[in-house]
Amino acid sequence: MEASLFQALGLVNSSIFQRLAPSKFSTLYASKGWLATLMPEALDTQPFSYLQGSAYLNDFLLDAEEFWQKGHNGQIHSGIWREQVNGQLLHLEASAAVAEQSCYLLIHNIENEYQRQQQTLQIARELLLRNDKVLAQHDYVFNRLEALLSQNTDQQQQTGPLNQALQQTELGVAILDDKLHLLNSNSALYQMFNTPGKKTKPSPEKLLLQLFENQYPEYHRVFTTGSSWSGELFWLDPPQPGKWFKVSIHPICNTSQQKNFWLLSISDISQLKFLLMRNEKLSHYDVLTELPNRQYFWRHLEQQLNKQQAFFVLYIEIKQFKKINEIHGHLVGDGIIKELSERLKAALNNNVMLARIGGTEFAIIETTANNSQQVSALEQEKCRSLASELINTCTQPFYLESGQRCEVGLNIGAAAYPSDSDNAEDLMKYADLAVFAAKKQVKSSLQFYSSELKEASRKRIELESALRTALENQEFELYFQPMFDLRDGKINKAEALIRWNRPGFGLIPPDEFIPMAEQTGLIVPIGKWVIRETCEKLAALRDENLGITLSINLSPRQVNDRLLLEFITTCIAECNVPPNQLELELTEGVLIDNFTKVQYLLDEVRKLGLSISIDDFGTGYSSLSYLQKLPIDHLKIDRSFVRDLSNNDNDKALVLAVIAMAHSLKLQVIAEGVETLQQKDFLQLNHCYTAQGYLFSRPIPFSQLTVLLAAQKKS
Amino acid sequence: MIQKKICLLGATGVGKTSLVKKYVEGIFSEKYLTSIGVKIDKKEIELASNKIQFMLWDIEGIDRFCGFQPKYLRGASAYILVADQTRSQSLIEGHEIQQMVKDAADIPGILAINKSDLEASWHWSDNEIKQIRSSFALSFNTSAKTGEGVEAMFTELAKLLLETP
Repeated sequence: MEASLFQALGLVNSSIFQRLAPSKFSTLYASKGWLATLMPEALDTQPFSYLQGSAYLNDFLLDAEEFWQKGHNGQIHSGIWREQVNGQLLHLEASAAVAEQSCYLLIHNIENEYQRQQQTLQIARELLLRNDKVLAQHDYVFNRLEALLSQNTDQQQQTGPLNQALQQTELGVAILDDKLHLLNSNSALYQMFNTPGKKTKPSPEKLLLQLFENQYPEYHRVFTTGSSWSGELFWLDPPQPGKWFKVSIHPICNTSQQKNFWLLSISDISQLKFLLMRNEKLSHYDVLTELPNRQYFWRHLEQQLNKQQAFFVLYIEIKQFKKINEIHGHLVGDGIIKELSERLKAALNNNVMLARIGGTEFAIIETTANNSQQVSALEQEKCRSLASELINTCTQPFYLESGQRCEVGLNIGAAAYPSDSDNAEDLMKYADLAVFAAKKQVKSSLQFYSSELKEASRKRIELESALRTALENQEFELYFQPMFDLRDGKINKAEALIRWNRPGFGLIPPDEFIPMAEQTGLIVPIGKWVIRETCEKLAALRDENLGITLSINLSPRQVNDRLLLEFITTCIAECNVPPNQLELELTEGVLIDNFTKVQYLLDEVRKLGLSISIDDFGTGYSSLSYLQKLPIDHLKIDRSFVRDLSNNDNDKALVLAVIAMAHSLKLQVIAEGVETLQQKDFLQLNHCYTAQGYLFSRPIPFSQLTVLLAAQKKS
Repeated sequence: MIQKKICLLGATGVGKTSLVKKYVEGIFSEKYLTSIGVKIDKKEIELASNKIQFMLWDIEGIDRFCGFQPKYLRGASAYILVADQTRSQSLIEGHEIQQMVKDAADIPGILAINKSDLEASWHWSDNEIKQIRSSFALSFNTSAKTGEGVEAMFTELAKLLLETP
């Protein structure tokens, strides 16, 4: 081929070879200069044998050879490499190609392209590194101060280490009480807002709260719901140039989960922003997903308002993303966010803008058709189907490089212009509130903003606040649901179940307050109360010579409490009860989610002498391998299988399978929710000898349990 | 002469390129210049009666712009995982990379805790660091700036590779 043709094709800085046999090539085009350094044999007699002079190329040729052997048209690339040859640094990339049954090797000198790519990546990576440092500092300060502040020691004892921690950090820190009044701060905070020759007014923490309230609609939701928040704030104090701050806000609770403090940490990221501004694209686009960022979205939202055409703002949050990061690591987490953003984008029309407005948050503006001025029921339906399309596209499994699969859910909140609000701030605030409501659903869901939602949110806050004081006001009570041995009809165990006597509201069922307790962390102190109370009841039964086993339920959050084991040990010792009369009940979900922690916990409680039950068995994961790895004593067949035993052959088969499997693993089986004689007979006939349910007894107060046990003893 | 391929891996900006440059050319530059792709350097080392030629594969930092590529490990005798002791996240990412290497190749790993000339500003406790070190065949505190630990790391690595059949 003519050299002039290659020049015309812009291939002048590449060399092209035809592959004749393994390691044997003929040179079609030799680029001047560098090829003589890299592969001098290519300029000698033709064809030539490659002398394996480049380590990187040798490696690539292994893949290339395999590709050529297959003989399908196409190309594969080596990736960029640099190589020092005879004092010359070469920037190279190779490709192997097959066209019309001929095989080619192309080596490109990409020195100019390399410099260009390097310049872009340089800025992006400097940003990444600075950002990492800022985030790490915030996390560290939060963890250290949280450890100090959450202890129930008196203020006096805390002051020393607290001041030391505050002064050691470069971050500005303010500690506020639950009414947002300043309790403590450090000099770095004042330096951030220091203006030469001017005394800062108002005080830095007040200024910070003002900036947060003015710039983020999430302000009220964060403080009323006790949520953590982090983001960027801009402060302009003319004639000084503006400053950008990275701010983290965290509630800190004491060991009884009472919100005691707010921790504000702040760092000056103006330099980082300056770096961003050097690259226009980076200042308006998110680096990871290449989607428009929060600033861009905000502008777009305001432009949309000016059009006076009805639309929805959709606020999308990835469900429990923290967990994904913890299980699979940050690199995998980033990869999932990237793929998720691509899937979301693919599900949207080209004219819909998708923005990444936070770490795990995205936003969309969905305009209505026909330039309507109000959103109609039909438009709302369309919005709903768009949301379910987005949810569907994300619930398809994500496959990780390790071969594992991972599922991702979405919480979506929507607010409508102009029916919900006609200004950008309120729209975002309401969409954020709607997301917060969607978050409470186990499954991915869409929640529209409504005045009822606002009311529900107010009620929730009220309930949460009542729940916080319920422990100290002694409003909880334990009920016990006995379990019976079907062979002799005697009670051999009872499950402790909590009830809340809320003043003015009566008995609140656990399904109304346990999920909230779990979400707020109150489950930890409430769970401890259950453990202690159960131990005390065991001691009371022992004193009456009525000893049976009492079981208690453990929630996911409790299992994560590193002090749980110590607490159980202390309670057993202080109440002087035999450990083998205490049983822990865990659901399958808890086991799988925290396998390593659970394994440690269960091994240790087994050493103490406690027994362990798997609750609601059959409703969780089908993988049973963990049953053999964990020290489990009993399986409790879920009530849903027992309920339909009389008329559903599938449930019969499942119950029989569970019984058979349990027996082969030397585990005992307990049937939950037994309500009819038919069910009881079926279970007994099939060698399941322990049962619990309304047929025998509802959950009863402790006094009634002792009466039943006493009567049983006499008989 | 025995030739050994060694891969340098780690998060972005931990100093992989600087370590190689210090070892091969004896030069250090304060300016951070990000790498793209792979750079291969050669260095000979003589130990008693054995001569080894290291083929040092300095691989682009693994981050959101560049994923882990197991193919680079093909034929490698060992890998050096570099972490930056002024950045906690670099060790977290290092640990993730270590897991990915383990899935791809059964080769010894060396941990280089780099930038030892700077004050450590990560918040790993001594015990945690000890535990992390123990998961590597060898570990060193290094500084590409002062040269601390650099020569020693490669020498010990060469000894380890000579001992390994």
